Amino acid sequence: MNIFVLNCGSSSLKYKLYAMENEQVLAEGRVERIGQENAIITHQSQGKEKVSKTMPILEHTVAIRECLNLLTDPQQGVIKNVSEIDAVGHRVVHGGESFSDSVLIDDRTKEILDSLAELAPLHNPANVMGIRAAEKIMPKTPQVAVFDTAFHSTMPSHAYLYAIPYTIYQRHKVRRYGFHGTSHKYVSQRAAELMGRDIADLKIISCHLGNGASIAAIAGGKSVDTSMGFTPLEGLMMGTRSGDIDPGAIFYIMRKEGLTLHEIDSMLNKHSGLFGIAGVSDMRDIEKGIEEDDKLCKLAFDIYEYRIRKYIGSYIAAMNGVDAIVFTAGIGENTPALRSQLVANLPYLGISINEENNRKRGEDIEISTPDSKVKVFVIPTDEELVIARDTADIVS
Amino acid sequence: MDIRRVAVLGAGRLGRGIAEAAASKGYDVVLFSQGAGGKDAVSRIEKSLDRKLAKWGITESEKRLVLGRISYTQDLKELSKVDLFIEATLDHMHIKKELLRAADQYCRPEVVFISASATMRVSDLAREINRSDMLVGLHFIPPVTQVAVAELVRGEKTSDLAVETAKTFAARLGKEAVEIEESRGLVNPRALVVMINEAAYIVDEGVCDEYAAERILKESWGMKQGPLEMADRLGLDLVLNWMEQLQDTFGHRYAPCPLLRRYVREGRLGVKTRLGFLAYSEDDALLTEDEGDKED
Repeated sequence: MNIFVLNCGSSSLKYKLYAMENEQVLAEGRVERIGQENAIITHQSQGKEKVSKTMPILEHTVAIRECLNLLTDPQQGVIKNVSEIDAVGHRVVHGGESFSDSVLIDDRTKEILDSLAELAPLHNPANVMGIRAAEKIMPKTPQVAVFDTAFHSTMPSHAYLYAIPYTIYQRHKVRRYGFHGTSHKYVSQRAAELMGRDIADLKIISCHLGNGASIAAIAGGKSVDTSMGFTPLEGLMMGTRSGDIDPGAIFYIMRKEGLTLHEIDSMLNKHSGLFGIAGVSDMRDIEKGIEEDDKLCKLAFDIYEYRIRKYIGSYIAAMNGVDAIVFTAGIGENTPALRSQLVANLPYLGISINEENNRKRGEDIEISTPDSKVKVFVIPTDEELVIARDTADIVS
Repeated sequence: MDIRRVAVLGAGRLGRGIAEAAASKGYDVVLFSQGAGGKDAVSRIEKSLDRKLAKWGITESEKRLVLGRISYTQDLKELSKVDLFIEATLDHMHIKKELLRAADQYCRPEVVFISASATMRVSDLAREINRSDMLVGLHFIPPVTQVAVAELVRGEKTSDLAVETAKTFAARLGKEAVEIEESRGLVNPRALVVMINEAAYIVDEGVCDEYAAERILKESWGMKQGPLEMADRLGLDLVLNWMEQLQDTFGHRYAPCPLLRRYVREGRLGVKTRLGFLAYSEDDALLTEDEGDKED
């Protein structure tokens, strides 16, 4: 069974074609600058040279058609005909309260997705645009939506509700939804496999630390709490997002600086986090700054680490214990110093780090020593594979 | 037609505001001006973006992206490459008609024309051009990047296509286009100049000074700017121009306060001259009463 996985943004898309018999990636690529005369397509089929071309691509339908042309190209391609694609799996950021699992897309699904646009205005409309474009080109191929929020739908109400008037939840569905669910699901399942244990018996804390960052408490394979909330602004410190902040401070800042709603929103989402403290948002630049004795880079690093540590502590309390901690995504996978500092600051957990393993990159690896009471893993995330698996399950 | 490239004719506050708002939403903008002040229009848009950056409203890369989408020219031949034409020149009938006729020649026939005029009738302007069915009124309200509403006016011959194009464009800019009947003078300018004029009378009669009038009106009506700062930001010459246009149609209701005439005569035009009813700094920020006194 061949599954085509699509992740559509407003002006870009990423795709992968999987052969599900052995979960092999047959081809992958991306299209950038959709809507412009000089859009760029980059494509690589397994065992073949990477190709890249620039051309006018004014809408998503054209972009997807070009991807399919490359997949079926006699030289570059890996399939002879589009009909060899058995289903399309779409990443959809927000499923609201309507979708607690991946779903086969029909007209009703699209109607609900349209109504969810205001919960994720930057992402959902683009995701839905990708669904409609793919349907137009492949009307007979089943389409499946896989939601970033779905994995967290198992959170209990005491974890997802905010302590504000209950009518606000009833009227507007304001509650914690959580994001990066596909990633948290993948790395927690993979950690259980690496431990050789049934995930139903495990308490896992997974740390997805990319430019956006979230942390999840996963008990028995189910998300019971997560740091991102109604929007991806809550929780950990991020590249340019503040994470948790006293709402009272927001009102005070707005009054003192004379800021509009748009300006404070932009400040918290785009000018805060690592960038707000140190002036750079990339963790590699932060580490370079620390090497050069930049005090604000060190401060940003320490705040970043401290906030992860606080969440780990609170999720241990939420689950009454922890068996494994997993790090994934750009910063989680590639910042050994952050993992070392975190663990060194949690001596009561009885973890020892195998520094040699901690410095390895690009593979699933346990970085704790065999005698550690809590296991620590670095597991590169693979959200597309989860989308492909869910899609295959649904259409089988 | 898919609109990507927008022409804005007129590089005053309104034209610059429309250009900045359109570029911020991804349109390529060609800003036209034949006046002497047009050349620094892009740098004034950059200053406006810098103010937003200082308030964390945009990022440095967003600023560069927006500026990269705006070009300035005095050459009307460039109009042959645009998908939408917006005129935002000062409301002088003969100048406006001449520019519209020129644009009508250069733009492709399918291009919709938008007039942002505050006081001129769309039907009167439409008579000057061949594509009279393609002209629609869409009055943006300064500061254009912040006000979420615009006034849409259909002329006698305006087609549904032109109206839909204007509505779609306004929506992309994050504005609701509220349709009103055609008249000399739109809702916002008509009500605004009356308020400004009355505030000017209050000051002129010595009831209170400019700062007191501004504070009372601004706070009591929950406004972001009071009428006197609004007048200064529009330009007192523009306010006077609007009032005179409206006075021609509606009579004494729009007779300008003598203080307004005196300020315009003295070249005290508002933010652009640093002094109008109130005083302003080099970067267009409103000065307090004490700071204003020092500037004097």
